[in-house]
Amino acid sequence: MRFSFARLLLYLLMTIAAVIFLMPVAWMLVMSILPEHEIFQPVPHWIPQEPTLQNFQELFKRAEEAPVMRWFWNSLFVAGTGTLAYLLLSSMAAYAFSRLEFPGRNVLFFIVLSTLIIPGQVTIIPVFLILQKLHWFNTYYALIVPGLAGAFGVFLLRQFFLTIPREMEEAALIDGCGRAGIYWRIILPLSKPALATLAIFSFLGGWNDFMLPLIATNEIEMRTLPVGLTIFLGRYSMQYGLVMATAVLATLPVLVMFLLFQRHIIRGVVLTGLKG
Amino acid sequence: MKLLALPAHRRHEALVGYLFIAPYLVLFVVFVLVPVVWGFFISLHNWHVLGEQKPFVGFANYRALLRDDLFGIALLNTGYFALLTVIPGNVVSLLLALGLNARIRGENVYKAIFYLPVILSVAVVAIIWRWMYSTEFGLLNYYLKVLWQFLHLPGDFQPIPWLNSPQSAMPSLALMSIWWGAGGSMLIYLAGLRGIPEEYYEAARIDGASTWGRFRHITLPLLKPSLLFCLVMSLIGSSQVFGQSYILTGGGPHYSTLTVVLYMYQTGFSLYRMGYACAVAYVMFVIVLGFTLLQFRLLSARGEE
Repeated sequence: MRFSFARLLLYLLMTIAAVIFLMPVAWMLVMSILPEHEIFQPVPHWIPQEPTLQNFQELFKRAEEAPVMRWFWNSLFVAGTGTLAYLLLSSMAAYAFSRLEFPGRNVLFFIVLSTLIIPGQVTIIPVFLILQKLHWFNTYYALIVPGLAGAFGVFLLRQFFLTIPREMEEAALIDGCGRAGIYWRIILPLSKPALATLAIFSFLGGWNDFMLPLIATNEIEMRTLPVGLTIFLGRYSMQYGLVMATAVLATLPVLVMFLLFQRHIIRGVVLTGLKG
Repeated sequence: MKLLALPAHRRHEALVGYLFIAPYLVLFVVFVLVPVVWGFFISLHNWHVLGEQKPFVGFANYRALLRDDLFGIALLNTGYFALLTVIPGNVVSLLLALGLNARIRGENVYKAIFYLPVILSVAVVAIIWRWMYSTEFGLLNYYLKVLWQFLHLPGDFQPIPWLNSPQSAMPSLALMSIWWGAGGSMLIYLAGLRGIPEEYYEAARIDGASTWGRFRHITLPLLKPSLLFCLVMSLIGSSQVFGQSYILTGGGPHYSTLTVVLYMYQTGFSLYRMGYACAVAYVMFVIVLGFTLLQFRLLSARGEE
């Protein structure tokens, strides 16, 4: 009897916690479809009396002052190409670090690995000055390339490659397959789980990044969605339906990814200690 | 040349190795290695972006930081934010993990809900909570008022001016940040809890240990590696807090939410004093490095036990 009472209490507490955790996001979704007059109410309208898509339609009309759709595509492009390039570069370096012998390999790997403890914000000012010297300010290069230099992907993939048995490559070498062929046809296909985990976190990181796009661009057309949101908030601070509609746009892609790859993400957090 | 001394096939392998590593290494040098060294170099100069001359000033920027009241405020505020988020946040994460570990039905749904905020951008989080914290129309004040009336507390509920008063602004940012990040540590704690053999609990139960006793003498000690990891990681994360105050409060009211990274950003990108901003960045780096070394020590000390 006592046992089942404890279970009931547990479920009750967990459900209260779940409601509290879900409420802010749910309220964002509800507010994005509320008409203006239903937003400023003394009692929150959880169920809209007149649900409307007018906030989303309004977004397109303001493309001149606040090009939300352009920001959306910028974010998608930056996160998408950034992820592909990051996977390619990191896996190539990781392959060399885990499988090929060359002078200086261990020293280089140690240097790369030790930079994992450097917070990105420490180097943001020199990175900004370098981007200017390269004349990359306000370009997609500035939004994508600095992120490719992170050491985490190399580290994670090297650890994974080390678990792949060498016998498979030796057989391929005897059959006349070159190193590049081994990397492309054997190592990469066998590493799909690790590559997928890295791809998800890289995309989420690129989509949500705030500091780099903030300093790497200042033209309104070159902003990404998170930075654009803050500009939007500055201009339309009281038009909350509009602001929430842009926030929903910034959330939908990662929300879809989360629902599709939930297991991958949750396992990835535990394996890598990354928190997303 | 070491490379030339190698036999032909080894030399070929080495060349292939360099080719594979070259694209990454170029970017690594330009965007990680050079910035780390150059940043320190800049911090030793009076480096105004628009200035023709960028004179070397030695450690003058660092000495000026010692006397800079705003930097002192930023350091204290950042410490305050860490105090408000690290322990309370990890308690929330641990409680959620303990609940999930009790083999409840719908575990995956609960897990997904608690983790969901982690995948959001700081900009989205800030926008949502700006409304939650609205003094007049915000959900928080509304439900607090409902609760107040439900419990028949004396007098009228006074709306809390969350982000608008110097006393409550930083705690508000902290509360929001706990909501944002709790799911990450929760998953790590849950994995740690699942790694504790069930037999330990059964043995303790037979010996008549209470729920609290089992938690205190089995769960906590065996969870120590996860606890250390999450505590130090959140300490490192909270010492770099930026987006929350940049977007929601701009450091105000009355500098009550000015953090170290926000101060660095403002000196660098609003005042263009890059040398001074780099000095701020390096002070922060030394602090974070201290926490990282502490973590290595604690974790390796554990390994030796």
